Amino acid sequence: MKVHYYPGCTLKEKAVALDLSTREAMKLLDVELIEPEGWTCCGAEYPLTEEKIMGLAAPARVLRQVREEGGDVVITTCSFCYAVLKRVNYALQTDALKHKRINAYLKDDIKIDPLTKERTTNFEAYNGEVKVVHLLEYLRDRVGPGKIASRLKRPLRGLKVAPYYGCRLLRPQKELALDEPDNPHIFEEFLKAMGCEAVDYPFKQECCGSYLSVSLPEAAAEASYRVLRAARMNGAQAIAVSCPLCFYNMDKRQAKIREMFLDFPGLPVLFFTQILAWALGVDKGALGLDDHAVPVDKLFEDKRNAEVIL
Amino acid sequence: MTKAKTKPPDKRIGLFVCHCGINIAGVVDVERVAEAMKAYPGVSFSTNYVYMCSDPGQQMIIDTIKEKKLDSIIIAACSPTLHEKTFQEAARLAGLNPYQIEIANIREQDSWVHVDKEKATRKAIRIVKGHVEKALKNESLEPIKVDVTRRALVIGGGISGIQAALDIAEHGYEVLLVEKGPSIGGKMIQLSETFPTLDCSQCIMTPKMVEASRHKQIKLLTFHEVESVSGFVGNFKVRIKRKPRYVDETLCNLCGECEKVCPQVVPDEFNMGLSFRKAIYMPFPQAVPGTYTLDAANCLGLSPVRCGKCKDVCEKKAIDYDTKDTFIEESVGAIVIATGYDLYTMQALGEYGGEKYEDVINGLEFERILSASGPSGGVIRRPSDGRIPKSIVFVQCSGSRDTEKHLPYCSKICCMYTAKHAMLYKHRVPDGQATVFYIDVRSGGKSFDEFYQRTVEEDKVLYIRGKVSKIFKEGDKLIVWGADTLTGKKVEVEADMVVLAMAMVKADGVQDLLRRLKIATDIHGFLAEAHPKLRPVESLNAGFFLAGCAHGPKDIPETVSQASAAAAKVGDLFSQSELIHEPITVPVDDEKCSGCGICLSMCPYGARSLDLERRVVTVNEVLCEGCGACAAACPCGAAQQRNQTDEQIFAMVSAMLKG
Repeated sequence: MKVHYYPGCTLKEKAVALDLSTREAMKLLDVELIEPEGWTCCGAEYPLTEEKIMGLAAPARVLRQVREEGGDVVITTCSFCYAVLKRVNYALQTDALKHKRINAYLKDDIKIDPLTKERTTNFEAYNGEVKVVHLLEYLRDRVGPGKIASRLKRPLRGLKVAPYYGCRLLRPQKELALDEPDNPHIFEEFLKAMGCEAVDYPFKQECCGSYLSVSLPEAAAEASYRVLRAARMNGAQAIAVSCPLCFYNMDKRQAKIREMFLDFPGLPVLFFTQILAWALGVDKGALGLDDHAVPVDKLFEDKRNAEVIL
Repeated sequence: MTKAKTKPPDKRIGLFVCHCGINIAGVVDVERVAEAMKAYPGVSFSTNYVYMCSDPGQQMIIDTIKEKKLDSIIIAACSPTLHEKTFQEAARLAGLNPYQIEIANIREQDSWVHVDKEKATRKAIRIVKGHVEKALKNESLEPIKVDVTRRALVIGGGISGIQAALDIAEHGYEVLLVEKGPSIGGKMIQLSETFPTLDCSQCIMTPKMVEASRHKQIKLLTFHEVESVSGFVGNFKVRIKRKPRYVDETLCNLCGECEKVCPQVVPDEFNMGLSFRKAIYMPFPQAVPGTYTLDAANCLGLSPVRCGKCKDVCEKKAIDYDTKDTFIEESVGAIVIATGYDLYTMQALGEYGGEKYEDVINGLEFERILSASGPSGGVIRRPSDGRIPKSIVFVQCSGSRDTEKHLPYCSKICCMYTAKHAMLYKHRVPDGQATVFYIDVRSGGKSFDEFYQRTVEEDKVLYIRGKVSKIFKEGDKLIVWGADTLTGKKVEVEADMVVLAMAMVKADGVQDLLRRLKIATDIHGFLAEAHPKLRPVESLNAGFFLAGCAHGPKDIPETVSQASAAAAKVGDLFSQSELIHEPITVPVDDEKCSGCGICLSMCPYGARSLDLERRVVTVNEVLCEGCGACAAACPCGAAQQRNQTDEQIFAMVSAMLKG
C-alpha cells in the first residue's frame, strides 16, 4: 500500500519522535509513505479572517501537489496540519470565491518541467479532490482493525492511557467531521486496539494552552495542568497526544507545571504513534524516547508491571 | 390552440373590478381594466368599485346579476383563499350557481408585487381575460352531500385527550378515547406541582381521569393502539389494536398478590427509571383503569412452565397468558389527535455528559423526585447516592433555541417550570443553593412573571444569564462551566446535581401512526395546523383536530384550552345535518380511460380505484380533494377536473399570452 504522507515542519524539528515512530510503524503495516515533492509549511493556523487568502495558498499548493503526483489521499499525524489542510480543502470545495482566489495564486506558481527544463503552462485548478485523512482514521478505515490485530507483537495490556484530542482534531465539526466533538471515540478505539485501557476524563477536548505558550507561558501551563491533572485523577498512567504543540506544552513544560502546581505529581506524555510502533514491535531505540522531558522509558518494558510506573 | 371559434360565446359574463382601497388601485388602473374588458367576447357587463367585499359591494353584485341576467361573474380582486366564499354566497343569494364565480387575483399576483403601473395594468387585463375564457366553460355544480357519523375518536389519554373527550361527551356525542399505555393520565400525572399556583398536579388530574372513565358517553380504550384510519370527514373507519394486558381488568381486584410474587424487577417508567417495579404492575396508585398489567417484554416467559407464579396466586383467575392481539373496527366522524410529546434525549447533549452522569437529570425526572408519590417520597435526593443535594444547577434551554447544534425553537414551558423547580427545591432544602442558567426568562402568561419574581426575590434563587458549555464530574461533585454574559466572565459552579430543562420534541412512538394517517407535520414533527392564526386547532386533513403538545410545546392551561377548542370544532361538525364536500373533483371519462391505473398511485386520498371488470378507474368523489394530481398524470386525458379541464386551462393560457 502506498499513500501520501504530509509530515509538516514541526515533525522535522521539535517533534521528530512523532515522525520517526509513524514511519517505523507504517513500515510494519506494509504502508509506504510518499512525501509530496517540495512540500512547505501548512501555515499551522487556519486564517481567522475571511480576507486572508495568502494563508490558504500554501496548504492548497501541497494538496494540489499530491493530486499532481497521482495521490487521492494524504495522511497527517500533526493535529494542526490536519486541521489546516482539511479546512482549506473544505473551503475549496464549498466556497466558490475562495476557490477562485486561491487558484489564482496557485496559477502563478512557476513550474519547471524536470525533463525538458521548460516552464510548463498547463494549469488545472485544484478543487479539493485530495482526501485529507488523519492517521487515526487511516488506521481504522484503510488499514483496518483486523490487520492491525494480526500484526500486534506487544499489546500494552493493562496500561491506562488518557486519549487527548485537544482543540484541533474535532472542531469545527462541519469542516473536519472526524468524530462527534462532544463525545468522540476514535482515539479510545485506537488505544483499545493497542491493548491499552482508554481512560475517560472530562478534559480530553479542552485546549492545552496552544500558542499562549509563547506569549503567556503561565496561562499555557495552567491549561495543560488542568488536562494532565484530570487525566491522572481518573487513573491514567500516561496521556497520548497527536499534536506537537500539545506535546510541547504538556511534556517539555511539565517541570514548570510541577513548579507552579505542587499537588501535581507528573504524568508521562506519549505520541499515539509511539504506542502504535511499540505495540507493532518497533525497537525501543527507534521510538524517539530520548526526546521526552518526562521519562517514559518504564512504560515500554517488555515485562511491564503497571504498579511500577510512577 | 388551433381550434377555430365556431360560434360566439353564449354566456353573459359580468366583471367586477375591485380597488381594494389603494391596495389594487394604487398600482393597477382599475377603471381602465373594467373599460378594456367591456368589448371582450362574452363580457356583457363590466364595472369597478372601491371594496367589492363590503356590504354595498356585494349588494351591487347581487343586484347586477339579477338585473343584467348574468349567468357567470368574475371578481377581479384579492386571492380566492380570502373571499371566494364571500362572493359564492352573494351569487347564491342572487340565484346564480356558486361555481359560476371566478376570482381573478390582481392583488397578490399583481398590484402587491409590481410597481410599474402601466405594466401592472396590462397584466391585470391579461389575468382577467384568462378568467373570462375559463368562465365561458364553467359548469354549474352542486356540492356533494354526505352523512355524518356523530361519534369521535380521541387518540392519546393525556390531559389534552381527556379534556377533549370530556368536552365532546358533554356536547352529547359518543367518544372513543384510545391510549396506548396501561393507564390514562399522560405526562401531567407525573408532575409534582404546577406553576404558577403550585397545585398538586395529581390532585387536579385524577378527578378528570375518573370522570373520563365513568362518563357514559366515553368508551375508554387503554392499552389500545390505532392501527389505521380510512374514509373521510364524517365517515371514518378506524381499526384499533387491543394489546394483550394478560390481566382481565374486569376481574382484577387489585389485591396485589401477583406483584409480590413476581421475580422480575425492571426500571419504573412512571418514575422515569428512578425506581423499580415488577413485570406485573400497576403503573401508579391512581391508574385508570385500576388494574394490573403484565409487561410481556419483561415477564419471564408468559408460561406456567417458566414461572407462572402470578397466575398461581391470583384468586380471581384474572391472569391469562394466552391473550393475543385483537382488533376492533369502529366508525367515527371526527378524530382528535392528542398524542403528546417527549423530551430531547440526554445522549444528544454530549457537552452535558450525554447520560454519563447519574446526577445530571431532566426536568421530568426532577418532577418525580419532587413528587410525594415519587421514588424518594418527595424528599429531594440525588439519584447516584441518595444524598440530599446542597447545590443544584438548573440549565434552561437544554437543546432548545440552538440553531447550530440542536433545536431552533423555544420549548416555551421550561422558564416557568425551572422557576418552579428552583422554588420547590428552596422550600424543601432551605440551606441549599439553587442556580439557574438562562438565555432570557420568558414568563408571558397569567401570573407567570409574578411567580418568577417570587423565585428570585423571596426564595433567593441565583439567576445567571448565560449558557452552560460543559458539565463534568470531579470527585463526587459536578462542575458546571458557563458564561455570565452580563459580566462577560466565565463561571464555574460546583453542584451536587444538575437539572436540564430539556427541549420538548415530537412524541417518539407516534410518528409512524401520523404517517399512516397522512397527517401533515411541521419540520420538527409537530402536527401542522390548517392556518397558524385562524384555524389553529384543525389539521389540514378534514375531520382531524389537534390538541396539546403533539401540536407544539405548550403548558397545561394552553393545552386544556386547545383541547376544548378542538372539542368545540368537533361539536360544530356534528351539529350539521349533512356535510358539504366541494364538487371540484376529478371524475373519469370511461370512454377515454385505458385502465392503466397511473392515477391510483398519484392519488394521496385513496379516492380512485380500478374496476377490474370494466378496466376503467372509478372515483369516490367524497374522498377526492380536487388536488389535480391524477389529472396531470393521466396519459389519456380521461381524468378531467371539474371546471379546471385541460380545455379551460389551455384557453386561459392562450388568452393571457395573446395580450
